[in-house]
Amino acid sequence: MPSDDELARVLAEVPRGALALTGLAVSLLLVAWFLIYVFVFIPRGTVN
Amino acid sequence: MPPAPPPVTSEGRISRFELRWAIIACCAISAIMVALIYAALVEHMAPPSSVETVDPQTLHLSAEFTEANLGTSVDADGQITSRIVATQFTFDPRCILLPANRPVTLRFASPDVIHGILVTGTNVNTMIVPGYVSQVHTIFTHPGDLLMPCHEFCGLGHSEMIATVRVVPPEDFKPDGQGRARCDAR
Repeated sequence: MPSDDELARVLAEVPRGALALTGLAVSLLLVAWFLIYVFVFIPRGTVN
Repeated sequence: MPPAPPPVTSEGRISRFELRWAIIACCAISAIMVALIYAALVEHMAPPSSVETVDPQTLHLSAEFTEANLGTSVDADGQITSRIVATQFTFDPRCILLPANRPVTLRFASPDVIHGILVTGTNVNTMIVPGYVSQVHTIFTHPGDLLMPCHEFCGLGHSEMIATVRVVPPEDFKPDGQGRARCDAR
């Protein structure tokens, strides 16, 4: 059974890992979205 | 002696992390919204939103989508319109002739089931729902033969349902005396 101090130390580390993972995933998604927007969607021309 | 600041708890750290992440998410959503607003206002891109009804049972008898009226026509005011019937399992006509670099209007109707079209290499993409006229305004920038397949599964012959959009240089686009332009008349 971990002590409260040990638990607090682990919980302090958890957000950093979550931030790295979600930051990477969301960054890749946004980069892909903007690449398609700028190099595919806009050059294909107007439609309405 | 001032009181010591309260210790930072793990709950406090996680709350701060969540707040920062919410700000990042809001920034990402805002960036995408700005890009979409730019496309709508500056590039005039928007989903085709014309709502116009037509009786699917009398489609071939009504004035607009009778056989003689299908294909590309140039109105007296120079407006270029192409009318196409999407039906199981073909397009009528199977080839439409249009000029490059001029505004054109595509109008589709279906007498039977739901179809859909896209024109390869362009942003033209719409559903064709029985009872409604699907209308798309666009400008084709490059001459060439573009494929226009049905992209909504409409039955066993769906994979055979394909048409051609023949985009020609404006100087080669020569409608006949009635303002009609056909692929086979070139």
